[in-house]
Amino acid sequence: MKDRASVVIIGAGVIGTGIAYNLAKLGMTDVVLVEQKRYSYGSTGRCGGGIRQQWTTEENIRLAKASVERFERMNEELGIDIGFIQGGYLIPAFTEQEVRDYRKNMALQNSLGVPTEYMSSEEIKELLPMLNTEKMMGATFCPTDGHANPFAVTEGYAKNAKEMGVDMELFTTVRGIDVVDGAVRCVKTDRGDIETKFVVNSAGPYSPLIGSMAGLEMPNKPYRHEILATERFKHFLDTMIISFHHGLYFSQTTRGEIVGGIGNPSEKPGYNLSSSLDFAVRMASALIDFLPQFKNVNVVRQWAGFYDVTPDAKPILGEVDGLQGFIQANGYSGHGFMLAPIVTELMAELIVNGKTSVPIESMNMRRFKSRNMVQEANVVG
Amino acid sequence: MSENDIGTSRIDRHPILEFHRRKELTIYYHGRPILAYEGETVASALYAAGVRTFSYSPGLDRPRGLFCAIGKCASCVMNIDGISNVRSCITPVRNGMIVEEQKGAGTFPETTVGDYETASPELEADMVIIGGGPAGLSAALEAADLGMSVLLLDENHQLGGQLIKQTHRFFGSKEHDAGVRGVTIAKSMIEKVEASDKVSVLLGTTAFGYYPGGVIAAVKENKQLVKITGKRVLLATGAAENSLAFENNDLPGVYGAGAAQTLMNVYGVKPGDEVLMVGSGNVGVIVSYQLMQAGVRIKAIVEAMPKIGAYFVHAAKIRRFGVPIYVGHSIKRAFGNGKVEGATIVKLDDKWQPVPGTEFDVKCDVICLSVGLHPSYELMAQAGCAIKFIPELSGHVAVHNRNLETTVPGIYVAGDSSGVEEASIAMMEGKVAAISAAFSLGKPVGEKRKEADQMLEHTQKQLESLRDGPFGARGRNGKRKSFELYEQLTGARV
Ligand SMILES: Cc1cc2nc3c(=O)[nH]c(=O)nc-3n(C[C@H](O)[C@H](O)[C@H](O)COP(=O)(O)OP(=O)(O)OC[C@H]3O[C@@H](n4cnc5c(N)ncnc54)[C@H](O)[C@@H]3O)c2cc1C
Ligand SMILES: Cc1cc2nc3c(=O)[nH]c(=O)nc-3n(C[C@H](O)[C@H](O)[C@H](O)COP(=O)(O)OP(=O)(O)OC[C@H]3O[C@@H](n4cnc5c(N)ncnc54)[C@H](O)[C@@H]3O)c2cc1C
Ligand code: FES
Repeated sequence: MKDRASVVIIGAGVIGTGIAYNLAKLGMTDVVLVEQKRYSYGSTGRCGGGIRQQWTTEENIRLAKASVERFERMNEELGIDIGFIQGGYLIPAFTEQEVRDYRKNMALQNSLGVPTEYMSSEEIKELLPMLNTEKMMGATFCPTDGHANPFAVTEGYAKNAKEMGVDMELFTTVRGIDVVDGAVRCVKTDRGDIETKFVVNSAGPYSPLIGSMAGLEMPNKPYRHEILATERFKHFLDTMIISFHHGLYFSQTTRGEIVGGIGNPSEKPGYNLSSSLDFAVRMASALIDFLPQFKNVNVVRQWAGFYDVTPDAKPILGEVDGLQGFIQANGYSGHGFMLAPIVTELMAELIVNGKTSVPIESMNMRRFKSRNMVQEANVVG
Repeated sequence: MSENDIGTSRIDRHPILEFHRRKELTIYYHGRPILAYEGETVASALYAAGVRTFSYSPGLDRPRGLFCAIGKCASCVMNIDGISNVRSCITPVRNGMIVEEQKGAGTFPETTVGDYETASPELEADMVIIGGGPAGLSAALEAADLGMSVLLLDENHQLGGQLIKQTHRFFGSKEHDAGVRGVTIAKSMIEKVEASDKVSVLLGTTAFGYYPGGVIAAVKENKQLVKITGKRVLLATGAAENSLAFENNDLPGVYGAGAAQTLMNVYGVKPGDEVLMVGSGNVGVIVSYQLMQAGVRIKAIVEAMPKIGAYFVHAAKIRRFGVPIYVGHSIKRAFGNGKVEGATIVKLDDKWQPVPGTEFDVKCDVICLSVGLHPSYELMAQAGCAIKFIPELSGHVAVHNRNLETTVPGIYVAGDSSGVEEASIAMMEGKVAAISAAFSLGKPVGEKRKEADQMLEHTQKQLESLRDGPFGARGRNGKRKSFELYEQLTGARV
């Protein structure tokens, strides 16, 4: 392992590997990525893979749209099949209030160039005849939303970064960060120290722990989210279905499994990764409500991951006041996979050029001090 | 489908077994009516009617037949009554069932009918036992005897595990039921379990998970969730047969030896007419002999080692019938159009490499693989027990101590799932696990406790003596490794 590098990235999720790739693309290859386990061990390998532009704040919509454009080109760019299915996201509304809110969101999305459309319950039935539309009052549908395989995207980033010269140190745990005169100096791992000027905190749900190694108190907290996969079926479902009303989402992967999850409002923050029977039962019942055929389907796996949640459900990006060289790229609050292509590109720009081509000021950690926050409402699960 | 149509292969006369066929039913295979008997599985009825291909592989569209015949491999999944991915080898027939081959991945069900229960019963017992083979049965009887309430679960529709197909007289010493047929041992234990008012039995029920709080989740008849809490839990899930890498090893007609045994001894269906047996350990040789009893011709037995693995008595029986045994040989490939029509055999040199030019073909319609089993350790892993690969125990096992307790306190293992050995050992381990579990709950007391202490010691000694000598070396060494690992991992000395 190198004992000195221009940049040390912590975490080999989609964010860490994406930043490694984009740094290399900008010519910065004196980079070491350190990961305690293996690629996609964290939230990335546990996530639903959903990619949507139907957000409620301008920043998120812009970032998601820019990401979708990149996902569309990714197979070619990374030379790997990322399993991107652009079958749209359907967001059904179950109350009058939801209909009004979703229409308002749609107007904002449309104004930013996202082709979201409104569907009556009859139109939903036409799109997905199997769906139980009984209680649905309507829905928004964005045909360019979709989902992809997070393992493949991460592997693609890692493989290309490595080929361009980035060092990947797997099974290496960061234990401490030396700060001298308000600037980062050295990353200490269980396999040796690496002297550096830049540390990227892309440790996902573990990022507050990394922050505290550099003396920072961070506002994000890990919340367990559970998810399951059914047996495989021939492809029959293009659309990803999400219901903010139920906190539920599901889609069919290119392998044929239905993968989905449902939130648990009483979940407390903490590093608990166990799977619960309660989730399996709630999810199964909810799926049967949406698609009665699910009662004849077997679940083959369930697992849990963390949402890395900030107070306004938006990521923490960029430099930290008073701690030179420390770059935050975390706090994705359950939607970091879909934002990865654009965010990792911007983070690389910030490190190499000292500035970003799209402003990300509003995502800086200092917003939590000034209480200058705009809440993102469309968080699912 | 006409190729599949090779008439019936029901066994009517058998020197040891009698098949009392129950009510006649009809199932429909791609529209064709097929005779079935109540109590048998879809796979056995189809097999008796000549069907050999049950599914086609998702990637390469290769025909697939049975492999394990006990629900452990998914080679036999079919569309049954509009539902895909159903394991036909453990699904009982029902009158009027509609059965179709499955091509590749399943189809999302179109039907919203089909009964399923939303209510999920919550059951409790002092001792919950998963698996009703000899290990589970013996543990259930012992636990009941020590005053514990017992809940015994098996995913099969009958108790007995692998024992219900062992028609031969058992090896081992007199004290350990040697000379008695496996089926007879099973029958007597099952009768006792059924007669016990301390043991409740749930059949057709698969345990699928151990959740925080010690809840075991199981699914009954594929339609009802059952939640079970046990003060102590024994996972006696048995073992699954190994496959072997050779060209066309997935051709219908390549079966685990245990699958062939299940077909003929449990369901009274002849697996084929001419069999090549791969592996000459006890299982290979015993199953060969049983196949001959069912009227099947054994074309040859192939063994990679330089000598036969089975006990002398079993091998001698086979030899007497003039079955050629090729030691130092292996199977190179299977061939046939959609099903096994023969195999190519090749000689191995002293480095286990095939010797070019020594190939020859054997014509057969079934190839049985008896190349060992591996412990079914999935539930233990999911429950969080420390898992290690111990070659002498035939694969991954939950690390356990002399009392059969795993690294998760309160969870025990016994029998093949804790290391592949044999039925007599499985029964004793079941006993040890039950006694240890009872002791940990402070049961029994007084005189009874003294007796139990003696029983535990006696059984531990019996286990040691069974693992004595050269044939017991594997088990002896494997178990020692497990006990040592347990100490290292828990810091406890047992
Ligand atoms: C159930 C679930 C469903 C989700 N569904 C979606 C979805 O549909 N769409 C979407 O966009 N997002 C979804 N998300 C969110 C998404 O998974 C995350 O936002 C995203 O994966 C974050 O990526 P990351 O690289 O920042 O973090 P991670 O993937 O968690 O990577 C962080 C890495 O850092 C490593 N690490 C931590 N500490 C150390 C250390 N001290 N030393 C070395 N390495 C360390 C970890 O091992 C880990 O591999 C979901 C999340 C969950 C849990
Ligand atoms: C051909 C052959 C000949 C043999 N001859 C002899 C012999 O002569 N002498 C001898 O001592 N031994 C012999 N054996 C070995 C003996 O049969 C096994 O060692 C013994 O059956 C192991 O018992 P068990 O209870 O551990 O497992 P099993 O008998 O395999 O029983 C396990 C049970 O667990 C159930 N189960 C598994 N998972 C689940 C789940 N998740 N939920 C619910 N139920 C589950 C299964 O359905 C099964 O019924 C022979 C074996 C074979 C194949
Ligand atoms: S699961 Fe049916 S043959 Fe293995």
